Amino acid sequence: MNIQNVTHLVHAYKIAPWRVNRQLVGTALLAVVALAMVATLYLDVTSQAAIAGREIQDLTASITINQQVSGDLQTQLATLTSASVMKQRALELGFRPMESGQAEYLVVAGYSVIEPEILSSVPLPQLSALSIPPEYNESLLDWVDERISSSSRGMQ
Amino acid sequence: MRQQYARRTQALTFAMGLAALAIIVQMTRIQNSEEAATFRQQASNYAYELRTFYPERGEIYDRNGHLLAGNKSVFEIGVDLKNAKDPEAIAAAVSVELGVDYAQVLDVIQNPPEGLSYVVVADYVEAQKAIHLQELKKKVQEHAPEGMLGELTGLEFKSHPQRSYPENSLASNIIGFLNRQGLGYFGIEEKYDTLLAGNPVQVLIPTDPNKAFEIPRVPDGTTLVLTINRDLQAAAEQILDEALVTYEAQSGTIVVMDPRNGELLAMAVTPRMDLNQFWNYDVIYHNATEYNPAVSMPYEPGSVVKILTMAAALDSGAVVPNTTYLDTGSILVGGATIQNWNQEPWGVQDMIGCLQHSLNVCMATLSTQMGAGTFYSYMNNFGLGHLTGVDLAGESAGRLKIPGDSDWYPVDLGTNAFGQGVSATPIQIMMAASSIANKGRIVTPHALYAMVRDGRQYDVPAQFAGTPISEQTAQTLSEMLAISLESEGSLALVPGYRVAGKTGTAQIPVDGFYDNTQTNASFIGWGPVDAPQFMIYVWLERPVTSIWGSETAAPVFAQIAEQTVILLDIPPDNIRQQLVAK
Repeated sequence: MNIQNVTHLVHAYKIAPWRVNRQLVGTALLAVVALAMVATLYLDVTSQAAIAGREIQDLTASITINQQVSGDLQTQLATLTSASVMKQRALELGFRPMESGQAEYLVVAGYSVIEPEILSSVPLPQLSALSIPPEYNESLLDWVDERISSSSRGMQ
Repeated sequence: MRQQYARRTQALTFAMGLAALAIIVQMTRIQNSEEAATFRQQASNYAYELRTFYPERGEIYDRNGHLLAGNKSVFEIGVDLKNAKDPEAIAAAVSVELGVDYAQVLDVIQNPPEGLSYVVVADYVEAQKAIHLQELKKKVQEHAPEGMLGELTGLEFKSHPQRSYPENSLASNIIGFLNRQGLGYFGIEEKYDTLLAGNPVQVLIPTDPNKAFEIPRVPDGTTLVLTINRDLQAAAEQILDEALVTYEAQSGTIVVMDPRNGELLAMAVTPRMDLNQFWNYDVIYHNATEYNPAVSMPYEPGSVVKILTMAAALDSGAVVPNTTYLDTGSILVGGATIQNWNQEPWGVQDMIGCLQHSLNVCMATLSTQMGAGTFYSYMNNFGLGHLTGVDLAGESAGRLKIPGDSDWYPVDLGTNAFGQGVSATPIQIMMAASSIANKGRIVTPHALYAMVRDGRQYDVPAQFAGTPISEQTAQTLSEMLAISLESEGSLALVPGYRVAGKTGTAQIPVDGFYDNTQTNASFIGWGPVDAPQFMIYVWLERPVTSIWGSETAAPVFAQIAEQTVILLDIPPDNIRQQLVAK
C-alpha cells in the first residue's frame, strides 16, 4: 500500500455520508444540551428567587404577628396594672391611702429626685429588610445583559 | 426511485415549511393585533398591586411610663360565600359565640348583596372570642368525615388593630379618643393626630411571585409621653367626684399644674367617658365644650380675677400692700353702682384686707384708679381673651371686652376688676396666675412631656409667654394672698405647707339677670409659697349645700393639695427649708 492509497482511504473516511450525518447529529445534540443547561440554570435561579421572596413574605407576616402579640400583651399588662385595679388590689391586701402627716422624710446621701421615665434612648434595630442584592431579583438574561454592559463600559 | 424520493421529500419539506411560516405569521399577527394590545394592557394592570402600608399608631404614656392609650388586635369575622358549606351552622356558631342575631347572620350569608363573594358578619370582635370561634371551627373540621369539609368551612378571620385605653375613663378629657375611621377626637388624640398616626407608605408590588420586592420601611407613629401623673389624676378625679356629691354641684373641674414650667399634672372634669366605649359620646355629652371644660368652657370666674387686678395695681404702682382706703360699701362706675358681695361697708381696709374680704368696691376702685388703658393692658398681657396655646384640642379663648368694642361700657371697667363681665376658662386663669407664682413669668400650659420616635426621646421644653409683672410684684402678691388665707383661717389651708390663693364666687346670669342662688364656686391656689411646685384650680358649678367658693371649692383645694404633696414627694415647709439650709 503506497502513500496515495492511504490518502484516498483517509479522504473517503472523511467524506463518508454516515460520518457527516453523525457530525450534524452531534452538533444538534450539543446545542440541545447547551439549551437544557441554560434552561436548568434559569429555572434554578428563578426558583431560588421565588423561594427567597416567599420567605421574606413569611418573615414579614411573622414580624407583624409578633408586633400585634406584643401590643396585645402590653395592653393587657396595662389593664392589669391600671390605677383602679392597683388601688383595689392594695385595699384588698390591707393597705390604706397615706395622709400627708404620716409621711416621714429622710435625707439620703446621693439620692436624686425621680425624673419622668425615659422610655427608650437606644435606637431600635431596623425592622425593614435591607436592600435586596441583584442576585435575588435579576434574571439570567438580566445578568448577561449586565455583564455585557459592564464589559463594554470597561473597554471604553 | 431515488429522484422520486428526493422530490417527495422536497414537497413535504416545503409543505411543512409553509405550515411553519403560516404559524409564525399567525403568531406575529395575533401578537400585534388590537386584541393583543388590550390583553397586554390588562396584564400590565395586574402586574403590580398598589398596596398601602399603615404604621402602627403611636402610644400615649403618662409621665411615669404608665400606658394610657395603646393598640390591640381585634378580628373581623366574615364568610367566604363560595366555600360556605353550611350557612345555618355558621350562623348558629357565630350567634352563640358572639351573641349576634342568628336570623340576621343567616340572612347576610344567604342573601348577600349582588356581586359579593365575601360578607362580614361581625367586626371589632375581641381576640379571645375570635380565637374561641376559630378553635370551634377547627374541632368541627376534625370531627368531619374523612375527606369532607367541616360545617363551618367558609368562616374567615382577619385581625386588625384597634385603639385600647387600659385606664378606661381616667383622664378621658385629656386623652380624647380614636374613632373607627382612624380619626382622633378631642384632647391629645386630636391635637397630635398626625404625629400619632405616622405616615402611610404606598408601594407598587409585583404580582409575579418570581419578582422579589423590597419591603418598605414604615416607621410607627410617634409615641407620646404626657406630663400627666396618673396617680394624681386618679386622686383628683376621686376628690372631684366626692365633692360633687358632698356639695351637690352640677359639675366640676380640678386642674393641677407645675407653675414653674406649665406641665399639667392632672386635669379632672365631669362627666367623663369610658374611652373604650367612645360611641356613648352622644349619650354623655350635649355639646363639644362639655368634653373638657377646663380648656373649652369659658365662664365668668368671679373673684379669682381679683388677684390679677391686684397684681396690675401693685405692678403699676397704683398701690402698695399697706395702702388703705375707706370702703363705703358702694362705688359709682360708668353710671352704675357697684356693691360688695354682702352689700355692706367694710370701713378702712388695706390691700390685704381687700383680698381677704374679697371686696368688689376695692377692686373697682383700683381699676378706675389705674384707668382703662393700664387695666386692660395688664389683662391683655395676662392673656385674658387669648388662647393659651395649651396642646389639647378644642380650646376656647373666652372673652375680654375692651374699650372700643361695641358692647363695652364704662361700667365694665369696674365689674371686670372683680371678674364679672369677663369670661375665661380655668386654664386661662391658671396661665395668668402662673406669673404670680413664677416670679412674674407666664408659662404656657402643656400636656406633652416628650415624643419618642425611632427609639429616641425628644423632650418638650417649657415655653414662657411674657412677663406681665415684675418678680417683686409677684412675690409681694403671693405673700399678701398667703396672709389673707391665714388671717381668715381659710378651709384651703394645708397643714405643714404655706399656700397662697383666692376664692371666687360668681353668680350665674339667668335670663339676663344674675341669680343669687346659682353660682360658680372657684378657688385658685399654689404652694409652697416660697418655692411654688404646684398650682391648683378648682371649679364647682352650681353647688347647692353652699353657694360660696370659700365653703366648697376651698376645702376641695386643700384635699387635692394634700394628695399632690404626697404624690409629688414635696416635704412640709419646715423639713424642706432644713434640707435647703443643709
